[in-house]
Formats: sequence, C-alpha cells, structure tokens
Amino acid sequence: MKQFLTVLKFELNNYFKNKSFLITTVLIALVIAGVIIVPTLIPGLLDNINGSKDAQIVQEEVEESSEQYGIIAPEKVKESLSLFPAKWVDYTDEDAMKEAVEKDEIEAGFILRDNGEVTYIVNNLGMGDSNIMEQFRQCVLAYEKEQYLLEKGLTPEEIHQSERAFVTVTPEVLGKNSVNNFWYTYVLVFVVYFLILFYGQMIAVSVTTEKSNRAIEILVTSVNSNSLIFGKVLAGALAGIIQTVIILGTGFAAYMAVGEAWGGILDRLFDIPSRVLIAFGVFGILSYLLYAFIYGMLGALVSKTEDISKSSSPVTLIYVVSFLVAMFGLNVSDSMLIKVASFIPFTSGNAMFIRISMGSVDTWEILVSLILLAGTCVFTGILAAKIFRFGTLNYGNPIKIMRAIKSIREK
Amino acid sequence: MKLEIRNLKKSFGDTEVLHGISFTVESGTALGLLGRNGAGKTTTIRILMDVFKGNGGIILLDGKPFDPRKHQIGYLPEERGLYPKKTVSEQLIYLGMLRGLGAKKAKESMKKWLERMGISEYEDRKLETLSKGNQQKVQLAQTLICNPDMIILDEPFSGLDPVNSQILKDVILEQIHEGKLVIFSSHQMSYVEEFCEEIAILNHGEVVLSGDLKEIKREFGKDRLVISSLEETPQELGRRLDDTFSDLLEVEKIRKDSVIVRKKQPENKNRILERLIKQEVDLEFFGMYEPSLNDIFVEKAGDEA
Repeated sequence: MKQFLTVLKFELNNYFKNKSFLITTVLIALVIAGVIIVPTLIPGLLDNINGSKDAQIVQEEVEESSEQYGIIAPEKVKESLSLFPAKWVDYTDEDAMKEAVEKDEIEAGFILRDNGEVTYIVNNLGMGDSNIMEQFRQCVLAYEKEQYLLEKGLTPEEIHQSERAFVTVTPEVLGKNSVNNFWYTYVLVFVVYFLILFYGQMIAVSVTTEKSNRAIEILVTSVNSNSLIFGKVLAGALAGIIQTVIILGTGFAAYMAVGEAWGGILDRLFDIPSRVLIAFGVFGILSYLLYAFIYGMLGALVSKTEDISKSSSPVTLIYVVSFLVAMFGLNVSDSMLIKVASFIPFTSGNAMFIRISMGSVDTWEILVSLILLAGTCVFTGILAAKIFRFGTLNYGNPIKIMRAIKSIREK
Repeated sequence: MKLEIRNLKKSFGDTEVLHGISFTVESGTALGLLGRNGAGKTTTIRILMDVFKGNGGIILLDGKPFDPRKHQIGYLPEERGLYPKKTVSEQLIYLGMLRGLGAKKAKESMKKWLERMGISEYEDRKLETLSKGNQQKVQLAQTLICNPDMIILDEPFSGLDPVNSQILKDVILEQIHEGKLVIFSSHQMSYVEEFCEEIAILNHGEVVLSGDLKEIKREFGKDRLVISSLEETPQELGRRLDDTFSDLLEVEKIRKDSVIVRKKQPENKNRILERLIKQEVDLEFFGMYEPSLNDIFVEKAGDEA
C-alpha cells in the first residue's frame, strides 16, 4: 500500500508539475467563468435572452435582420406571407430569380405554380432549409384554406374568429423531462468522452515511456507491478477527475453567483439533480477507470511512444462506438439498444448514465450494471498488471494483446 | 547471509538457455559472474531478481527460499535507464521510497550518495542534462540509495571511462568491506580479478568453472611450467621440447614469448630443468605457470574475451 501511494504521489506530481496541464485547466476554467460572469457585467447584454425588451421592438429587430427571399406567385398569395418573417423580392422571371440566388443577392426563391406545386430554389440545400420550406407551405396552406372558406360564404371576420380558437398542450411528466435533461446529460457524456480519450493516451504514454527509457527493470524489481500499474492508472484518473472538478466546479460556482442574471436560461446546463450527479460520478469514474486500465495495458505492449496510437486505435474505436450509442440514446433513452448497452461494461458507463438521467430505469438494473462494470474494471486492472509485468522486458515490435494474454495463461 | 543458487534452469519457448546453474556467495564477498555474450549471465541475474521466473532449480538465502522483494537489494540492471525529464534528486528520492525508505531518509541517502559520487552539484538538474558518465553515477547512486544488504550489478563497468570505473571500483570495494554480498557480471577480467574472491564462469547456459579465484588459479597452474629461451623463438623451443622432452612433459601452448608445458609427473620439474641445462638451452625464464583470469576464461569459455 505504501508503494502504491508512493507511485500515485509521484505520478500525480508528474501531472501537476506539467505546465500544459496547469495552463489548460486554468484557461478552460477561466473561459467558462468568463462566459458566465462577463455578460452580467455588461448592461443590456442579456436583455434579449431575458425577454425584458418590448416584444414589438424585438419583432422590428427580427424584421430588420430578416433575410431576403425571392418569390414568383399571385399578388394575393404574397399578401398572406406576413407570417413568414422575411423580406420578399418579387420576380416575374424564373431565370432572373435563379441568377439572383446564384449571386447570393437573395437567400432562396419560391415559385408557386398554377397546379399548386411550390418549387424552392436554393444554391446549397442545408439543414435549415426544410424549416423554411415548411414555413412557406404553412403560409400557402393558410391562404388556400382562407380562399376556400371565403368561397363557402364565410366572411373574413368569421374566418379570423375561427382561427382564434386554439388548444394548448401541457405535458405532465410522470418520468423524466428529457427536454430539460438533454443538455447537461450531453455535456457530461462529452466530458467523460474527452477524459477517456485524452487521459487514456496520457496513461499509455506514461507506461511506454518507462519502457523506452529503460527505467522499467529498476521499477519492477523495486515495486510490486500491481502497485505500479494501479498507481499510474489511478494517478491519471485522479488528475482527470481533479481537472474536471476544477473546470466544472468553476462553472457551477460562477453560475451560482450570477445565475439570476441569466434568468434561468442556463438551468438546462447547471441545474443538475444530485441523483444524476451521483450516477455520473459513479458510472463515469468506473467507465473511465476501465478504459484507463486498457490504455495502460496497451502502453505496456509497445516499446516506443510512437507505436501507442497504432496499438490503442482498436480500444479508441470501441469507445467511439460507445459514445455514438450514447449520442443515439440522448434522443431515444428507452430504446432496446440503450437498454442492452447499459449492461455491457464497455458501453454501460454512458448508456446507464443516460438511462438514469433521461429515461426510466429500475434500481435492480442500476445495481446489476454497476456490479458488472465494477467487476470488469477490477478484472481489467488485474489483467493490466499481469500484462504490464509480461510486457516489461519485451522490447522491439509491439506485442499483440491476444499473444500476451495467451502467454500469461500458459504461465 | 549465504545465497545459494541450485540447478537453475530457464527456457524461452523451446530453447533452454540455462541448463542448471549453481553457485554460492556469502556476505562480505563478491562473486564475479563471467561469461561471453549470451552465456546466460543476465538471465541468471533476472531470475535472481524475479524479473521473470526460472523453469527449474531453487534459490536459497540462509537455507530458506529467496524472495528479492523481502530484502534490500541494490540492483543495477544491464538495460538501465531512469527518468530523463526528472531532476536527479526527485528520481533518487522516489526510488529510495519505493524500496521502503521514508521521505527524509531517502533525501539524506540521496545527498550522501551524490556526494560520494562527486555529483552533488547536479542534484536539482534534469537527468538528461548530465553527461553519460554522470548519468551512470546517478544509476549507481540509485542502486545503493537504500543501503542494500545485497548488491547485484549487471555489467557495471560497460561504458565507463577509467576515472568513473575507478570510482565504481572503490565503491564496490567499500561495500564488500562493509560486509555486503556482491554479485556482478562482467567480461572485463581485470576488474573481476581485483575484488572477486569467488567466480563462476558461464558458457552456453552452464557453469563451466566456479569457486575461489585463488584456488582456481592455483589449480589451473598446477603441473604447468612456463619456459622461454633467449636464443630460440617459442616455436623452435616448442619443437625441441616436443622432440626431446616428450617423456617428461607435453607442450600445451605456444605463446608470443614463451611456451607453456604440462609436466607428465608432478615431480618432473627438476629433471626438466636439468635436461634443459644439459642441452645448453639459453634459458630466459623457467618457472611455475600462474594463469591470469583471462587465460582461464579463454580456456573455459572459448574465444578471446
């Protein structure tokens, strides 16, 4: 235990004495604090967000800033486009409008054909264009409907009256409100993603460096290899956790200090229930440790630091898949894929955290997932120590992990 | 302390590289493990240090199974290196603490050894900024920082200049006089001769000769004479001895300046001398053969060392 603590302290010092580690931590924390605090110090900067300005002024601003769209349509239809906040430029010639689009004089153009079909002319079709097309379709539909009702003998007042009736739908959430949970869950999943990939590589480098500078033989004859690998991996894990706590803690502290000025707009990021934070802590740390051990193990299989990226790419790929599954889960947290992923140790760190944060999950499921993840973590740690010991004196070409495991089993 | 290595075997894959190594060494003495490259010296030392396990044989310390982690051992491996980006003091204290010293004691010991090695001024310098010789002194300081009872040095003199070799030699002698058990491997015979009482010569994974160095030398020189003549070349003298002395001796080796012969009977010395005088050989030298360790090594381990 004393040796483990000595290794842990030495390795932690390596991180804390590393200038780039210190500068990165302080800089990111300051940027986050700055983003949260500075706007509150500049009067009026958050007014738009808080909605304190007169709605009409906002509307005018929106109109002023509206983009220009071309249109070829009957006059009456054009009049009904008031719902579409844009500046409309009339065209009579289709080619002229296309030319204007090509020259970026207008954002896009609409042609309402006689058969009721609408052609949308745009340079490059982007993600936002579908909204614009839908908005235009709604305007034309409203116009068609109004024309139909007028033909049927309704007066414009009656039509207007009929449209004033509206229904509001208020959700009563029995489970979790994924709309509110989405952003902080997204950020926390991303934090673990960054920690695993960044610190995983650093841990692998730290292990390989001792092989490449030939200090390893002195180390393994001075200290138990379990103490050595656990000390190294846990130091990397602790450094990452401390860095995260400092950065996120600064963000939380800054938001607690000036949060009111934001009018609750950032609650989606900072108002995290303690239950979710605990789930993040437990599953995030265990998942992080699992991958850290694997990276440490892979570091022991190569002799040169330049071989690390090649050797670690399969595990990086596995984690990226886990991350993509998590991204999918952010939208469909109760899907079968996420349920299955929440029990597989390599993906459960993210998947179970998302289920706890955004979906419905039974306590037994959490416990089973936790036991599987913790067990795999301990097993991987022990395997990492054995492979570390095996890889100690194998210099030269990288060793394949299956060959290393086979050799250990033979012993 | 008495360290006994008995019948140590080791295979890598299907190839057996150690075929049953045995030797013994006690506190206050140094054992020189000699052998050509690939003879099995480093493998033996690594099994001793539990870097890897042997496939057979036992290692006993005072009659009990030996576990290197339960003893203070100063180990200088053949593949040696430390942390180039760390300061000298930082890494020596770390390694001292890993071997059980408290932080204060490790610092004291670090200072003591840096002073002894004459590199105190580099205490706060990064290792990579030191010359190769000074880096090797730091290596030796890390070997001795925990005041070990047993010191195992694998090729300690390789790469050292004569001045640094002298410092290392002095330090090893001090340790022997302090009652430490020292094992070191080398193929530089002059150093081994200077402070080893015991040697074990390894060849192709076997101990081909071991024991007290003085005894070995005496035994090796027994029944052998060195003869040289002022008038004849060693080759001519050798031929004459072959032709006219074959009842008394056999020529064993013709050296650059003399001939080494083996007496056929232990009491033949005076008779050989009488006949040489009778044949009017202009003797330059006639005496007992005292082999150097190099001679013994070459004979036992094959090619020139």
